[in-house]
Amino acid sequence: MQESNQSGKASRRAFLKSMMGTAVVSTAALSLDAQARIHAPHELETLKDYEEHWGFCDMCYWRCGLKVRSRDGKAFKIDGNPEHPLNRGVVCGKGNSGIQVAFAPNRLKQPMERTGARGDNKWRPMPWDEALDKVAHELNKVKEKYGPQALVMIGHGTWEKPYHRLAHAFGTPNTTSPVFGLCCGPRGVSNTLIAGKNLTGNETIDLENCKYFLMMGRNITESLHNGETLGWIDGVANGAKVTYVDPRYTITASKADEWLSIRPLTDHAFLLALIHVVIKGGLYDKQFVAEYVTGLDELTAKVEKYTPEWQEEITTVPAETVRRIALEMAQKAPAVFVYSPRRLTRTSNDLGTGMSISILNSLFGVWDRKGGIFTPQTIKVPEIDLPEFPHAHVSREEGHGDFDFAHNPFAVDVEGKIQRADGAGVPGRWPLANPQYGLTNEMWKAMAEQDPYPLKALLTAGGNGFTNSTDYDTVRKALLNMDFYVAADVSPNEMNSYADIILPEASYLERYDDLQIGGAREGFIALREPAMQPLHDTKGSWDICKALSQRLGLEAYFPHDSVADMLDDRLKKAGYSLAELKEKGIIKKPADDAINFPREMGGKSVFPTPSGKIELIPSQLQALGMEDAIEWAEQPRPKDGEFHFTFGRVGFHTHARTQDNIWLNYFMPENLLWIHPDAAAKLGISDGETVEVKDPKGRGGKIAAKVTPRIRPDTVFTVHGFGHWDTRMTTAVGKGLSDSLLGSDNREKHIGSISMGMNMVTVTKV
Amino acid sequence: MVAKYVMLADTTRCINCKACEVACRAEWDTPLGYSRDWVKEVEYVNAKGLPEVQLFPGRCQHCDDPPCVEVCPSGASWKREDGIVLVDHAICSGCELCVPACPYEARWLNPVTNTISKCTFCQPRIDKGLQPACVDTCVGRALIFGDANDPNSEVSQLLKAKEWQKLVTDEVNIGPNHYYYTAGKAIPDTVMPKLNERHLSGKLMENIVNPLGTLGIGGMMAVFLGAGIKKLIDRRQDVSNKEGSHEQH
Repeated sequence: MQESNQSGKASRRAFLKSMMGTAVVSTAALSLDAQARIHAPHELETLKDYEEHWGFCDMCYWRCGLKVRSRDGKAFKIDGNPEHPLNRGVVCGKGNSGIQVAFAPNRLKQPMERTGARGDNKWRPMPWDEALDKVAHELNKVKEKYGPQALVMIGHGTWEKPYHRLAHAFGTPNTTSPVFGLCCGPRGVSNTLIAGKNLTGNETIDLENCKYFLMMGRNITESLHNGETLGWIDGVANGAKVTYVDPRYTITASKADEWLSIRPLTDHAFLLALIHVVIKGGLYDKQFVAEYVTGLDELTAKVEKYTPEWQEEITTVPAETVRRIALEMAQKAPAVFVYSPRRLTRTSNDLGTGMSISILNSLFGVWDRKGGIFTPQTIKVPEIDLPEFPHAHVSREEGHGDFDFAHNPFAVDVEGKIQRADGAGVPGRWPLANPQYGLTNEMWKAMAEQDPYPLKALLTAGGNGFTNSTDYDTVRKALLNMDFYVAADVSPNEMNSYADIILPEASYLERYDDLQIGGAREGFIALREPAMQPLHDTKGSWDICKALSQRLGLEAYFPHDSVADMLDDRLKKAGYSLAELKEKGIIKKPADDAINFPREMGGKSVFPTPSGKIELIPSQLQALGMEDAIEWAEQPRPKDGEFHFTFGRVGFHTHARTQDNIWLNYFMPENLLWIHPDAAAKLGISDGETVEVKDPKGRGGKIAAKVTPRIRPDTVFTVHGFGHWDTRMTTAVGKGLSDSLLGSDNREKHIGSISMGMNMVTVTKV
Repeated sequence: MVAKYVMLADTTRCINCKACEVACRAEWDTPLGYSRDWVKEVEYVNAKGLPEVQLFPGRCQHCDDPPCVEVCPSGASWKREDGIVLVDHAICSGCELCVPACPYEARWLNPVTNTISKCTFCQPRIDKGLQPACVDTCVGRALIFGDANDPNSEVSQLLKAKEWQKLVTDEVNIGPNHYYYTAGKAIPDTVMPKLNERHLSGKLMENIVNPLGTLGIGGMMAVFLGAGIKKLIDRRQDVSNKEGSHEQH
């Protein structure tokens, strides 16, 4: 136990040693005992045994590969699966906190029936059989009275698939997922129209080799997905230049070389001017454009008027800066990337913003090049054999990340099929919207107004309509309109407090789920298996849907006895097996430059558009008479005394789902309103004081101010997901202010997705 | 050659996602309200008048000359040959003398075990050849851990390749083994270690009472009695401070 001591000062124990054996001290036994005790070898902690199970994360939608450690039959620690290409072994704070989803004391623990008014949280526990019988009975009742299309199914995340399948089997086309209409829809549509690839979900960007990132409000370090964030950090460490464009100085801005505090809602104008400079200055990849691109002349004429000087008054970004960025990017092309925000539901013309980003990336020739966009490697895993679906007008296919546009010729006219109530993919309504994911925002409206036809039953799997949209009144009215509402979820939230029956789900640590099939540089199939037995009287979504299918006469759609059997069946069809997948939790097809980067290897790119080329002026848009989408559309500005209202993320909260998680709430119990020191001084607000924020409709509430130069003087900001009012959310209830009260509820005029960034607010000192 | 364990934090790769903190909590079952590691976020306005944010992941610095070991009356706080500062829970009395002794505020009394908790560089994990939990999970790969005495280790290579700084001041320089890379930026004062005023009584323990302990069990008794009385006084003070202030959180 001799320890190093660099200070030259005798350490305590060395001193004691020197005292030993001297005759000065009485050598009483007691004293020796004391010595002995001090010199006894120290006890070292040892690592207790544990077992490991494979999984993939459910804390956000990136779905990192996991290794879950359990001890005494209880999961206690979540590690990353180092083999998984989406996270390479790392797990963020949210992913690490998954343990507290399973062990939360306020989980939904047994099936329950509502005994009070909707939203009052008065419940009666009931056995599973009774609950499932009742759900089947009520759904059939609605079917008899109004037809199967009267059922709406809204799902979110890895839970949703079996519920979509059940709803389609039931005969309704009205299944929807917020991911399209409330989040990424405009990006997927933009890229699909121009390049025939959606580049959305688990994006396929060669981050490590990129040399210039133009981040259009992509707060990649706080709205974070592990593999993507790590790749970006590696890219920056490898010398990539970062220009970060956002009204707010985020942690991502702190990693950037340059921060452009652009006026909110004006990214499109800035991008149009960039396109103008790139085309006018001949800064584009001429070889790529000649071989692969159509519509350059037409686009040139269109962007003639969008000069850097023109955009300066709109965006407040100096014209010179735009010129310089165009030049810098051209010098580094094709290893450059214009990064779309993750959520592109902000302005009345998000399609214009999304297309401008796609156009710029195409002009720089980044497709299938190192440091640009790569083509993923994929493993084909067939679905199980299923009967035809009666009316769902597109049955979902898995294996394409979050979005499958494979069957998306826009606005399919389907003979004899019931049209979707939200108008997604319906000719004459919202033909550009994806008919599989639907427009959740429009679905709520259709339910609230019972238009175009009665919608009387609702089945939700996860999600929270109150906090993911920006119009409480519509969502509440929609929920109150339902004859029957059944909610399947793991945790309580405001939306499921309106349900007639709650079906409690096992958390993602306590169950099998369908395969995760994805494409990165490597193709992969990943497994989620239970790391422990369910802690409560809960079931996984497949088991719930199978039990319901038996009661609804739809058992042909859920033919397997267990999820594990279904997985084995699917895997065997692809030439693998469940036993093989259990070895590493993942099966991979190796990366291959000839597939990932064909144009680096003398190969050709493939763009599955009607012309087979990149269409700068998309033919499918022309067919719909919407080619004006590329043109700048004026956006609102704050009047004197008003502010742009913006919201965003922190790295340790997902949407409105994690504020009640005790491990995550610890870092940020409530949100603050960011306001610039100049604006705050004018209003007499100091840091930490309570202010009242109101939108033009008079909605809003009180929140504490954070006075900081990290935001533009004409803009305020808050973190999304706070202001919960469900009393079952014991940790989060009553903390902070909900941005859902303050965001706008406008529509993107071409797609029909929501526009949440167009509200102006007033701020007053309380 | 005995190992010398060090922790490197590349602050340019840290994103304050709190993965390290939650991973540590899960690994060691830390009671809520306490944490063995942390990430400090510092906001300021730079010379150009522009905002800046710097992030400093931190934990016990496993110092070469640890005052927490010097001050410990029971010998529970000790330093292993490989440089890791540990607490022997079997003999820790929870007297809390080491808490103010640490200028990095890395130590706290665990209300569940009534002994002192802190980062151990995940000693039970590294003894098994694993990485510390925070390093294993770090999203930006900002944390790098290893043996600085092994010339081939990643930490040795990185220590040579970049300019690293330590959290030391003229006043506090006790040989921390936690290094920081900031790409040349100065480390803000708020992150720097501070001498704790309450450490004065600890100093007394270190310089007078502990040596007395060598005079046998009587001295030992005096030490524990002294520590107990001190703790009682501190507690009373804490309570009266808390009652006196009605802070609204």
